[in-house]
Amino acid sequence: MIKGERQTPTFPEERDTPAIRTLDLAKRYGKITALSGLSMSVPRGEVFGFLGPNGAGKTTAVKLLLGLARPTGGEGWVLSAPLGDLQARRRVGYLPELFRYQEWLTAREVLALHCSLARMPRRVWADEITAALRLVGLDARGDSRVSTFSKGMQQRLGLGVALLGSPDLVVLDEPTSALDPVGRVEVREIIHGLKRRGATVFLNSHLLTEVEQVVDRVAVIDRGQVLALSSIADFTADTQTVKVRLTGLATSGSLEAGAFTLRPQMEGWWIARGIAREAVPDLVASLVGMGARVYAVEPGHHTLEERFLYLLKGGEHASGTDYRPADGV
Amino acid sequence: MPPVLTIARLTVFEAIRRRVVLTVFILTPLVIGLTAWGFSKLTHLSHNDGTPFSPDEARLRIAAFLILIAFMFSVVMAIGASFLAAPALAIDIESGLLLAILPRPIRRAEMVLGKWLGLAIPLVGYAFVAGGIELAVIQAVTGYLPPHPAQAISYIAAQSLVLLTITLLASTRLAPMASGIIVVVLFGAGWIIGIAQTVGATYNNHALANAGTAFSLAFPSDGLWRGAVSALEPAALLAEGVQFDPLAAVSSPTTAYLIWAALWAAGVLSWAIHSFSRRDL
Repeated sequence: MIKGERQTPTFPEERDTPAIRTLDLAKRYGKITALSGLSMSVPRGEVFGFLGPNGAGKTTAVKLLLGLARPTGGEGWVLSAPLGDLQARRRVGYLPELFRYQEWLTAREVLALHCSLARMPRRVWADEITAALRLVGLDARGDSRVSTFSKGMQQRLGLGVALLGSPDLVVLDEPTSALDPVGRVEVREIIHGLKRRGATVFLNSHLLTEVEQVVDRVAVIDRGQVLALSSIADFTADTQTVKVRLTGLATSGSLEAGAFTLRPQMEGWWIARGIAREAVPDLVASLVGMGARVYAVEPGHHTLEERFLYLLKGGEHASGTDYRPADGV
Repeated sequence: MPPVLTIARLTVFEAIRRRVVLTVFILTPLVIGLTAWGFSKLTHLSHNDGTPFSPDEARLRIAAFLILIAFMFSVVMAIGASFLAAPALAIDIESGLLLAILPRPIRRAEMVLGKWLGLAIPLVGYAFVAGGIELAVIQAVTGYLPPHPAQAISYIAAQSLVLLTITLLASTRLAPMASGIIVVVLFGAGWIIGIAQTVGATYNNHALANAGTAFSLAFPSDGLWRGAVSALEPAALLAEGVQFDPLAAVSSPTTAYLIWAALWAAGVLSWAIHSFSRRDL
């Protein structure tokens, strides 16, 4: 079944291995290098954001992972099997960026075709198809031909196709590119549902605000190489900034507290920049010593978009970056 | 259902939904009706002096005209095979349809074989149904049935499979238009070279005969057509000495040639599988 909280079954020996692992994976098309030495590891059960500018090699990487293209170098494993393995592909769902389905079939027939190709037992097809149509909001259009669908409806159908059979790994390439805001929220909910049932989601998207809301981990690639790979919390953390909410100090403009300078923000919040994590207790002590009542202290935070742009403009690598895949396939 | 059959079924279904089958079902009876009318007129031919043709003379004209009709049928089958197979993989690649299908647990070989099967079954089926009806109608109108009707249809069906197979190979790498053009040119060239071979054999010109033989081995399309002709030719027509006729055949293809043609088709299909398997999408 697609819906619900059923846990994704995995083979015992697979549980500790990454859902995806690549080692120096490379692809050249003639003289053009599309991907050069991609090494990364995607833990099981996580939502993984795969980010990068146009031409970074994201779609090439996805095609290599799914066996649609052959690598010219390196290795890779999907669900513990070498790239292209047929058995592993039974447990993978994929929504391509360029989504096209047989326009002369109905939505129900497209889903039945994929049930057949995914080697699902015939007896579960009807339930799978009904659940998929309902999940992506096409239950009223199941018997309509794809040729009558809008772009957004075709993308919804593609999402339904990708989710058939409760796959262990769902690869979504720009899954909301043709959707309206309501559809985008629904996709976010679907991704949360996939995570709840233990599936791994490999999400390739340019909509960073949306990515930030669903992913556990991100990788940023550019020119075919990984620039950063870390948890979303580490990636967006601003280790040099602290926010403090306080009252009791009558001051206008900046606030000097010992060696630290705080600038006022909205609703009683103040921000201190250029402060190391280990100096935070000293800052709080200074403020309390000055008579302030401190209600909250929070580490600074960048948006995913800020960090992404910073990286691509040649900034430092993200904190907490793990450039190499974990040991073991 | 095995993936090969799933793809074959999908391919047949596509032909039905895209109204290819409907078009053929409308056009074929029209053509059969027209030819039946033409044949009915052949039975009433007479010499310039007004003397009616004897039954044997009329039968010879009917046999010759039937070979012409068979040639038209073989051209339709050959071009139909090319038109169906040229976009079979190429369009699915270009449009992105295969991006959703091939990540499924399906081998590239199964995709190619499924497409081949899904096109071959309707082609061969059409050859026997339409060819059988045509011959039955002609027999009903004229009373004439060629010596080996089933064999003749089999040769034409086999020729269309040869063209289907090589077009599918082209479709793994080329755009549909390019694949179609190449195969139609090959078909035409094969026919002309087959005539040259007949002329070479008749006039003892070894260069022409050998070139024809070499081409008929490299591309066994016209060789199979000559088999269809030999199955349609009555002994009396051969006795009239019509070997110079571009639509005549001196002899039937040998068993060795038929085995070679089958091996050739299997080899080209394997090549198509290999080519498609190595193609990046």
